Amino acid sequence: MSEVNVTPSPASRISTGRRTGTRRKPKKNQIPYGIALFVGMLAFGIYLTAVSARLGIFWLIGCCFGFILQKSRFCFTASLRDPALTGSTSLSRAVLIAFAVTSIAFTAVKYGAHIGGLPIPGQGSVAPISLATAVGAFLFGIGMVIAGGCASGTLMRVGEGFGMQFLSLFFFIVGSLLGAHNFGWWKITFIDKGPRIFLPDIFGWVGAVAAQLLVIALLYVLADKWENKKLG
Amino acid sequence: MMAQEVLLDCLGEACPVPLVKTEKKLTTLAVGDILVVQIDHSCAMKNIPEWARKEGHNVEIEEVDDGEWEVIIEKVK
Repeated sequence: MSEVNVTPSPASRISTGRRTGTRRKPKKNQIPYGIALFVGMLAFGIYLTAVSARLGIFWLIGCCFGFILQKSRFCFTASLRDPALTGSTSLSRAVLIAFAVTSIAFTAVKYGAHIGGLPIPGQGSVAPISLATAVGAFLFGIGMVIAGGCASGTLMRVGEGFGMQFLSLFFFIVGSLLGAHNFGWWKITFIDKGPRIFLPDIFGWVGAVAAQLLVIALLYVLADKWENKKLG
Repeated sequence: MMAQEVLLDCLGEACPVPLVKTEKKLTTLAVGDILVVQIDHSCAMKNIPEWARKEGHNVEIEEVDDGEWEVIIEKVK
């Protein structure tokens, strides 16, 4: 914001001159609604915690996640789309940093369980990889660019009140239900044919983190170079 | 010749449509012209200014209503 408009640019002079006459409606103060919503969220959180502590934690994490997603304009769709569309890779790099942080944190959690002799949490999410992964990712990519958001982005924008994405959400639910209904068939026919790869089994715990961080760092450098080349 | 001001209505359009429309429209304008892009998709408020600034244009954002913004771009090159 600041670097451009240190001195009033012609744009600012013209726009303020133009804008005063046209459409400024007095804005409604939304802070009371915000406070009411916050109190409601707290109350619901307390109610959920009384039902089950896990639900309370899910509610808390969900609310924080949504807030950060909206305020940071963190958009997974844009992180993959903008490099091709405009050459900007700022969001791509943000996502890579997030991946790096979570790689370290999840390894810590899993390794902690491993040396404690406990079952490693989250191993059910080590899904088989095959051509189906690539085909599915490609289809998902097309869908999210057309819909204007991935799953979390769509939910966040519905919360913001963006009308078109109510439509995205509706078909997102329809698609998810269809997918869930037929998942058994897809699993047996395609998904389970691929190997399950858990990196620490191959590289060891330290090697797995190192390998993953190395790939992420490489992508980060590439993203940076790409942006410099495209936007110079 | 007077610099002209052009209004681009992108209300109701989701990312990345506003950005693509802005890019296309801006190429048809002359240096010194001003493009006012109306948007109500919050992520366009990030990617349009970011793109335009990197291209070297002067950019301002104004929230004209709750959840409705105008991105004002002065074409400088």
